[in-house]
Amino acid sequence: MTQRAPLGELPVRSPVAGLRRRGLSVAEVLAQSVSALAPSAAVVAVPSIVMVQAGAATLPVMLAGTALVVLVGWCLTHFARRMAAVGGVYSYTAKGLGPGGALLAGWALVVGYAAVAVSALVGSVAYLTSATGLPPTGWSPALLALGIGALATLTTVRGIRLSARVALALEVVSVAVVVVVLGVLLVAHDGGTGTGAAVVEGPVTAGGVATGVVLAVAAFMGFESAATLGVEARRPLVVVPRAVLWTPVAAGVLFLAAGLAQVVLLSAAPVEVLTSDVPVARLADAEGLGALSRLLDAGIAASFFACVTGSTNALSRVLFSMSREGVLPRALGRTHRRFSTPAVALAVVLPVLVGVPAVALGSGARARDVLAASLTVSALGYVLAYALAAAAMPLFLHRIGELTRPALAGGVTAAALASGVLVVALAGASWAGSGAMVVVFAVAWLPGPVLWAVLARRAPERLARVGVYDQATASSLLPGQGVRR
Amino acid sequence: MTDVDRGVTGRQPQAVRSALAVLEEVARAGAGVNAKEVAEALGMPPATTYRLLNLLVGEEYLVRLPDLHGFALGAKVAGLAGAIAPARVPTAARDVLGGLRGQVRAGVHLVLVAGATLRCADVDPDLPLASVGLVEGHLHATAVGHLVLAEEDDWRDAVHHPGRLVALTAATPTRPADVEACLGQVRAHGWAGQSGQLHEGVACLAVPVRGATGLLVAAVAVSSARGVVPVEYLAAAQECAAALAPLLD
Repeated sequence: MTQRAPLGELPVRSPVAGLRRRGLSVAEVLAQSVSALAPSAAVVAVPSIVMVQAGAATLPVMLAGTALVVLVGWCLTHFARRMAAVGGVYSYTAKGLGPGGALLAGWALVVGYAAVAVSALVGSVAYLTSATGLPPTGWSPALLALGIGALATLTTVRGIRLSARVALALEVVSVAVVVVVLGVLLVAHDGGTGTGAAVVEGPVTAGGVATGVVLAVAAFMGFESAATLGVEARRPLVVVPRAVLWTPVAAGVLFLAAGLAQVVLLSAAPVEVLTSDVPVARLADAEGLGALSRLLDAGIAASFFACVTGSTNALSRVLFSMSREGVLPRALGRTHRRFSTPAVALAVVLPVLVGVPAVALGSGARARDVLAASLTVSALGYVLAYALAAAAMPLFLHRIGELTRPALAGGVTAAALASGVLVVALAGASWAGSGAMVVVFAVAWLPGPVLWAVLARRAPERLARVGVYDQATASSLLPGQGVRR
Repeated sequence: MTDVDRGVTGRQPQAVRSALAVLEEVARAGAGVNAKEVAEALGMPPATTYRLLNLLVGEEYLVRLPDLHGFALGAKVAGLAGAIAPARVPTAARDVLGGLRGQVRAGVHLVLVAGATLRCADVDPDLPLASVGLVEGHLHATAVGHLVLAEEDDWRDAVHHPGRLVALTAATPTRPADVEACLGQVRAHGWAGQSGQLHEGVACLAVPVRGATGLLVAAVAVSSARGVVPVEYLAAAQECAAALAPLLD
C-alpha cells in the first residue's frame, strides 16, 4: 500500500476562482433551492391541473411525483457530498457520463432554467395585474415585465446573498399566505359537494396518470439549484447535499397537504372554478374573502419573482462553469470586480429572459399561454437533465470505487422513472396542448449536442476539461504528504 | 456554525471512534489512499466507511484529491498538530537567518506557513517576539498574517471570526474594509509591513519565502521596537528569503 501511482500536481488556484468563496450560510443555500422551486406558486397552481388529468387518482399521483423527485434529489446528494460544483447537475453528470453526457444534460438544464425564469416572470406579471386590477394584456404587462426584470437584474448582480435573502423572505410570506387561505377555506367548508366532484372523482386512465406524474414532477423544478453554489457556500460538501435533499422533502409535504385541501375544496365547488386560471383565488372570492384573494395574488407574484432570481442565479453559474472549461467564450466566466458574481453571464442572459416575455405580452399574447408554453419547455429540459444525472450517479460512484448496492438501485430506478416521465411528456399528451413546444425545446437544446460534436472534433482538450469544480488546491492540503505541490 | 453541527452527537461514541480510525488510516496509508483500501484496512463495512470519509471531507479534515477517489489529510489537520509538533528548520536555513541577524539591528524571525496556519519556527534569541501566541493567532494584526491572508481568494476563509476581529491596539484593522486595504498594499508590493497593530510601538516587515511553484511556504519577519516599519532592511530580507526558498520548499 506504500507504493502508489504518482499523484498529479495540485494547482495553486481553483479553476473556478473569482466567485466569493465560502460566504453563504445554510439558510442562504437553502433559499436558492427554495426560490427556484417557488413552492407557493407550485402548490396553488399544480394540484388543480393534476386533478383534471388524474381524477380520483390525484393524491397517489402527486405522491408518486414527489417520491420520484426526492429519489432524484437523493441521487444528487451522492455527487454533492463529494464535489463542490458551480455547474450543478451539469458538472455532476460530467463525472459519471463524461463530457458528452454532461453537455447534453447541461444544455438541457440551461434551457430549463431559462424557460422557467421566463414563465416565472410571466407568472409574476399575471398575478400582479390580477392583484392590482391592471389590464392583463397589452403594453402595461409588458412594461411590468421590464420593471420586474430590472429588479431581478439588480438583485442577482448585486450578489446571491441579497437575492437569496429577498427570495427566502418573499417565499416564507407567500407560503404563509397560501396556508392561511387554504386553512380559512377548509374551516368555512360545509362538507357539501358541487359539480367539481365529477372531475375530482373522475375516471382514472393510464395516460391521465402518467401526465399527472409529469405535472407533479414539474412542480418541483429547480429544487437542485443549490448545487450551483458549491463554491459560494460555507462547508459546501455538508450544506449543499442537505439543501438538495430536504428542499423537495419539505416542499413535498406542503404540496401533498395543499393537494389534499384542494381535493376537498374543489370537489365541493362548481366545475368552472376548478378549470379556471386560479382556482384557489376563485374559491376565496366565492367565500366572500376578496381581500384574502388579493393577498394570495400578491404572495404568488412574490413567489414567482423569487423564482426568476433563483433560476437566473443558477443559469448564470452553469454558463460560468462552461466558460471556465473553455466550452463557451471566456468572457462569460468573468466575475464582477466588487460583487464577485458571474456578472457577464448574467448580463448576457437577463436581456433575453426579460425581452422574450415582454415582447410576447406586448404583442397581445395571453399570460396563461406564455406561461404554459415556457413551463412545457422547461419541464422537458429539467427532466432530461434529471434522468441523465441520475444515470450518471452509479457510474460516478463505480469509477471512484465507492458504489454501494442502494446507490446502484436508486440511480437505476430514478433514471428509468425520469426517462419514463420524459417519454410521456414528449408523447404529446402535454398540458400545453401543443407539440410546438417540443419543437421549440429541441431547437433550444440543439446547441448542447452541437457543442459536443464541434468540440470533439476541433478541441478535444477543452472537452476533457468539462466538469470543473472547486477541487483541492495546494493550500487545502496538509503539507509533507508526498503530493507534489 | 453550531446550527449545522448535528451530524454526530456526543451520544454516538462508536461513530466518533470509527471516524478517528478512518482519519488515522488515511494518515498512515499516505496521500492518495482510496475508500476501498481504507475500508479493507479497517475491516469496516464499505458503506459506513464512505459515509465517514464524506463526513471528514465535509469538515475539511480530509481532502478529496482531484481524481476524486484519492484522499489526503487536509490543511485543517495542521491546526490539531501544530500546537504539539516541533517545527524543524534545517541547519542550513538557520545559518542563512544568522547571516541576516548579523546585518540588521532588529529582530529576525522565521515563520513557517501551512495553508492559513503559522508557526514561529525560529525566533530571534536576542530580540525575541513579544508574544509568539499572538503572532500565530491573529492573522489580521501581523505582517506575516497579512502575507498569508493576501494569498487567499477570500481572506475571510482564513480567519476565525471575520465579522468580529479582535482589536489588540487602536491601530489594529478590525473592519473588513481596513483589512482589505492592508491586503491590497501587500498584493501591490509583494511584502507586508505593519506598525503598532499587534503591540503599541512595535513594527514589523514580512517578506514571503516561496516554493518553486510560487506557493507561500514561510516568511522572514523583521521586527523593530522603533515603531516604524524597518523598510531599510527590505533588500536584505528579500535576499535572505531567496536563499531560504530552496531549503524550505
